[in-house]
Amino acid sequence: MWQKLKDGIEIRIGLTDLIENRLRQYRVPSDTNIFYTLGIVTMAAYVVQAITGYFLLMYYVPHSEHAFRSVQDIMTIIPFGWFVRMVHMVAANLMVALLFIHFISIFFMGSYKKPREITWLAGGLLLLVTLAFCLSGYLLPWSQRSYWATTIVSNLPTAFPVIGDALANLLRGGDSVTGVTLTRFFSLHVGFLPPVFLSIVGLHIFLVWRIGLSVPPLSQSAEEESEWTEFRHATYSRSYPFYPNFLLKEVSMIMLFLAVTFFIMSFMPTLFLPEAATTPADPLNTPADIKPEWYFLAPYQMLKMIPNKFLGISLQIIAIIVFLFWPFFDTRAERNIMKRPLIFGLFLVLLALWFLLTYWGRYSA
Amino acid sequence: MRYIYILSLVILVSAATTASAGYREIFEKEFLSKPWSTDIVAESSCIECHTSEVMDEKFRSIPQDWRVSWHAQNNVSCHDCHGGDSEDASMAMSHKRGFIGSPNYTDIPDMCGKCHIGILKNYVESGHGKALIEEGTGPNCITCHGSHNVQKVHIDIINAQLCSKCHPYERAKIMKQALFLTDKKIESIEDDLADLRKQGVYPDREEKSLFNTQAQFRTLFHTIDVAVVKDKTNFFTSELNGIEDEIKATFEELSFRKKFSTFLMLIFAGSWAIITLIIRSKD
Repeated sequence: MWQKLKDGIEIRIGLTDLIENRLRQYRVPSDTNIFYTLGIVTMAAYVVQAITGYFLLMYYVPHSEHAFRSVQDIMTIIPFGWFVRMVHMVAANLMVALLFIHFISIFFMGSYKKPREITWLAGGLLLLVTLAFCLSGYLLPWSQRSYWATTIVSNLPTAFPVIGDALANLLRGGDSVTGVTLTRFFSLHVGFLPPVFLSIVGLHIFLVWRIGLSVPPLSQSAEEESEWTEFRHATYSRSYPFYPNFLLKEVSMIMLFLAVTFFIMSFMPTLFLPEAATTPADPLNTPADIKPEWYFLAPYQMLKMIPNKFLGISLQIIAIIVFLFWPFFDTRAERNIMKRPLIFGLFLVLLALWFLLTYWGRYSA
Repeated sequence: MRYIYILSLVILVSAATTASAGYREIFEKEFLSKPWSTDIVAESSCIECHTSEVMDEKFRSIPQDWRVSWHAQNNVSCHDCHGGDSEDASMAMSHKRGFIGSPNYTDIPDMCGKCHIGILKNYVESGHGKALIEEGTGPNCITCHGSHNVQKVHIDIINAQLCSKCHPYERAKIMKQALFLTDKKIESIEDDLADLRKQGVYPDREEKSLFNTQAQFRTLFHTIDVAVVKDKTNFFTSELNGIEDEIKATFEELSFRKKFSTFLMLIFAGSWAIITLIIRSKD
């Protein structure tokens, strides 16, 4: 029976050939480290978000009168609703953290260099889409925290002269955060952003697959270092098959990601759920301490520090553009960052500054 | 070309680090003065006037007293007690809009009783209430509770210093003893509810039940009749026990959630360890 089923599948889709030629013969460098798996772990986090998001969608009511109550019902009345929501919330934060680490490691290993510039660009866009996911999803529980954090963030476009107010009003659907904003953010979160994300992720994975993984800069051979004048799949002096070796490594890291998710749910359940997140939104009662979520703290603190709002937002936009197109600016072939002290120093300063601003933003008045 | 972009980053870094001393004022001015916020954070015309320089000094502390009050924490504002139109300065003190201003001494219970209906009924039947109605001299609500800085009621409001201003403390002391256990139970439930909130739970059902029970309880003792309190204590104890049971169930649910998540954590951590060992053995 089993054999018959296997044969049936084999005849129709050629599974053995697929595994042999597409997975086993697909080679990856054997000296890859765990940082090479972060892309697939982030993708796994997205899948977790999609599944849990789908279940939340069954009970969530995107209306300012009912949103908070429906979320509380998910947490208390719906069987295992708390589990689905907690996984959704914790994995969302971990997904952002994973993306940050992924970018830091890619930068550090110079893996964005020719011919992988578009892969970096697609990754950068994915980070921005993920942050848009977070921003839009953040408002949905309609709690004091989500309401006021969104109020702050949605006011940022007003920094632009002439079109600023119109932009902010377009985002919010009015002068302030209201039920209209909730509906807009909800439709963005579940309708617009997922296909955009999946399209870009498709391009990103295609490019990684088509070009092949980069080799860590310290173990690059002369052949691997040779200039890319025409398209070729990456070749490696030492490699192993994608399946099962590298796939197992990826699966192990996904297991670790899930273990960390459940660790936070077990021992730090309120890490991303402070008291203001369990208080219904009250537009008439401004909380004393309004803070955006941790990943927006650094830009938020920076805006607070720069006296001119337009200058502040312009600098941030410049920073985003430089970040997105960085591989096209940094065209030198040298991938070993240790041999480029200026870039290395700048990288460390920016990283330290990010942490400092985040810390400052968290604890400043 | 790349140096231009490096320069941009340097500008970015230096601009961020050269913090202006007045950044917060500017931030607040620019971020909190937009149309979206003015509708929301605009203060009522009562507060605007009462905090202005033109106001008589003895009335200027009223908004500050109110801001730290239990009423303020529960969104009970000036016009809720004093009437008038808080959104329109020209009509803020209009009698046509129900403005009362400073009520007469004997009218104060009616003013408070607009919301605290059960307590008013209980109070007018009490010795305190009768003295006020019949002689115009008995204590009214603010005698014990204060006015603009009214705080959340605590059993310690019954104390020798306050009560003996008018009469010997002995009877009040017996009353306090009769209330003590029920009050302690309410306090303990309040602590549990605060704890639940800290653990990410929104216990609104329990909070509403407690609020109702507490409100009923308070309608009991303004008559200062110890026998009535003793008679009803069992009823309130059973009501409060019901709330405690619900809270206990929520704590048990939280404990289950923790165990369930830990179980899954161990499963996935174990899977990670096993797969890592397999990878090592293959290498």
